[in-house]
Amino acid sequence: MSQIELINIKKNYMGTEVVKGIDVTINEGEFAVIVGPSGCGKSTLLRMIAGLEDISSGELKIGGKLMNNVSPDQREIAMVFQSYALYPHMTVAENIGFALALKKTDKAEINRRVLEAAKMLELEHLLERKPAALSGGQRQRVAIGRAIVKRPKVILFDEPLSNLDAKLRVQMRTELMRLHREFGSTIVYVTHDQVEAMTMAQKIIVLNNGHVAQMGKPMDLYRDPENTFVAQFIGVPKMNLLRGNLQADVFTLQSGQKLQLDCGYSDGVNLQLGVRPEHLKLELLAQGSGSENNSEHSWTVDVVERLGVESFIHLCNAARDVLVLRLEGDCDLQVDSKVAVRFDCSHCYLFNDAGVRLLPNSAAMHLAG
Amino acid sequence: MVTLVRPANEETIMTHYSSQRRAYLTLVLISLFCLMPFFWVVLAAFDPKASQFLQIPDGITVNHFWNLLANESGVRWVLNSVGIVGTATFLTLILAGFGGYALSRTQAWWKRPLLYAIILVRIVPPPALIVPVYKVMLFLNDWINGVINSLTSDVAQQMLLSRMFSFVDGYLGLILIQTAMQLPLAIWIMKTFFDAIPKDYEEAAALDGASQWQTVRHVLIPLALPGFAAAGLFAFINAWGDFLMPLMFTSSPELQTLPLGMFRAFLRVDAIDYGFLTALAVIYTLPAVIAFAFARKFLTQTFSGGVKG
Ligand SMILES: Nc1ncnc2c1ncn2[C@@H]1O[C@H](COP(=O)(O)OP(=O)(O)OP(=O)(O)O)[C@@H](O)[C@H]1O
Ligand SMILES: [Mg+2]
Repeated sequence: MSQIELINIKKNYMGTEVVKGIDVTINEGEFAVIVGPSGCGKSTLLRMIAGLEDISSGELKIGGKLMNNVSPDQREIAMVFQSYALYPHMTVAENIGFALALKKTDKAEINRRVLEAAKMLELEHLLERKPAALSGGQRQRVAIGRAIVKRPKVILFDEPLSNLDAKLRVQMRTELMRLHREFGSTIVYVTHDQVEAMTMAQKIIVLNNGHVAQMGKPMDLYRDPENTFVAQFIGVPKMNLLRGNLQADVFTLQSGQKLQLDCGYSDGVNLQLGVRPEHLKLELLAQGSGSENNSEHSWTVDVVERLGVESFIHLCNAARDVLVLRLEGDCDLQVDSKVAVRFDCSHCYLFNDAGVRLLPNSAAMHLAG
Repeated sequence: MVTLVRPANEETIMTHYSSQRRAYLTLVLISLFCLMPFFWVVLAAFDPKASQFLQIPDGITVNHFWNLLANESGVRWVLNSVGIVGTATFLTLILAGFGGYALSRTQAWWKRPLLYAIILVRIVPPPALIVPVYKVMLFLNDWINGVINSLTSDVAQQMLLSRMFSFVDGYLGLILIQTAMQLPLAIWIMKTFFDAIPKDYEEAAALDGASQWQTVRHVLIPLALPGFAAAGLFAFINAWGDFLMPLMFTSSPELQTLPLGMFRAFLRVDAIDYGFLTALAVIYTLPAVIAFAFARKFLTQTFSGGVKG
């Protein structure tokens, strides 16, 4: 059993609360990703699971056993550090085999398992080198090798890919997922990169300022964000938010543009309408139709980002609302030209002033019932 | 423009060379002058008719060494020095290892005051410490001799134990004093060294399943080896050269260390035996050189590349 349970976990550093009460269960064999902006407490949380930081209050259970006061060397957890922390005086082989050597495993067995791990990570030709003579990516792989060689039930990763170039990062991502499939260990993986979270996780835990903003399956977070923080954190480019008021299912932007929402929300003022760039459609305004320039429906093209496969159009309107819109392939829009935007109402989200998601009455009633 | 830069003509090259030659000649003369005493010591040590003048010996003899080691108490002095200084260095390294590590890792408010207090001990000139230290040692000495006398009534055994464990005129006292004298600098060196070893290594070892002792043994000591070499070398050489403390804290001839033996040999009323003295000086110099050669291997060892950034 290697389920990890965090029950109201808190961490204080000399009076300042950094982790503010976290309740999470990570199931056995699950690939969980903790994601959040820099400084939100990800590393602190992970280090508490590892036993490298005291838990100020709350309970940590691994496999059903209370772990708060168990020292890290007794927890049978492996960890890949944000700084790889390879022992500089040992060769790659000694680094990988260190955990086994400590357990007095016999030499032949150590060699066999080190070689096995090295093969998997394509490190065989580097076994006799010292860490100083390795590239960043190679060090990274040694650090992973050191973690997997003892077949731990739980592996913790602290931003392991943040120092690699984009190409290697993609490669290591698939590599890690493959390792997870093969070993079936419970993995807790910390990152600030939502792409890593979306692609690798079975469960994402979004952390904001020491709180869990939301957790769930990647696509659930994408489809059903509970607040503006998660809505904007998951998905690139981030979700657009527009302020306005709602009355009788009509959302009025600050510019005066009116959008018909059909799902029966309660009326309210100062709300935020969220819509993802991929759910917006562009409509060219008919040239010279006269009303185009001061129409509340017109948006001005600010920036066009062309990536080949897709293009992102940054727009703004008279009330200084900004929108990002995604187009398939290339486009021939000119900066400063005027366009209209069609909102796909079935993909719009409504949040209150504080950023909490509002549900249509039907759904709310459904939940309440 | 036609080029104005011309190769320097013959004359300027000549003056350039001769001025350089003069500079080198001066340097050579100065270094010869400085090296002269060493030449003299080495030559005289092997010279059958050694005198106070630098002279090319007629022949080579090891009689001075033989005389020193066989007829005089030379062996005893060497063993005393090696034993006391070696043990003191060893103790210094162990204590400085613990102390340096603790001072490097702690975040407590007293860290800085304590560090400066420690180095202050080093700044006070040793002679200024003699009286208070002697007082303390005398007090401890009475106590330990009381203990020894109560342990055994056999006088020979009492003598032996007292020789070993007395704080004044005993090995223990000398070793402790030397350790205490060398400790401040060693702690500072080790503290600085541990500062440069990121905590990540220890954390990685803990997660690899290493107990605290295993972390020390397999990770911290190997990484801190250059620091230990530096601290140990300084401690050994300083303690080896110390004259004052053995002078103050020993009176029995059996406890004499090399520098004391040398000093007393020099002060003898009969004619000074230069061959004897220089042989003693050579023997006195050797261990320091050996210690340096030994430490050099570790001093130059550096570790990097374990953590990124
Ligand atoms: N030893 C400490 N003493 C005081 N505050 C600390 C300490 N360690 C971390 N913090 C604070 O705790 C907060 C969370 O730090 P943490 O390292 O967990 O962030 P993180 O989410 O891992 O960020 P990053 O993505 O930059 O690694 C930060 O605001 C940091 O300043
Ligand atoms: Mg971090």
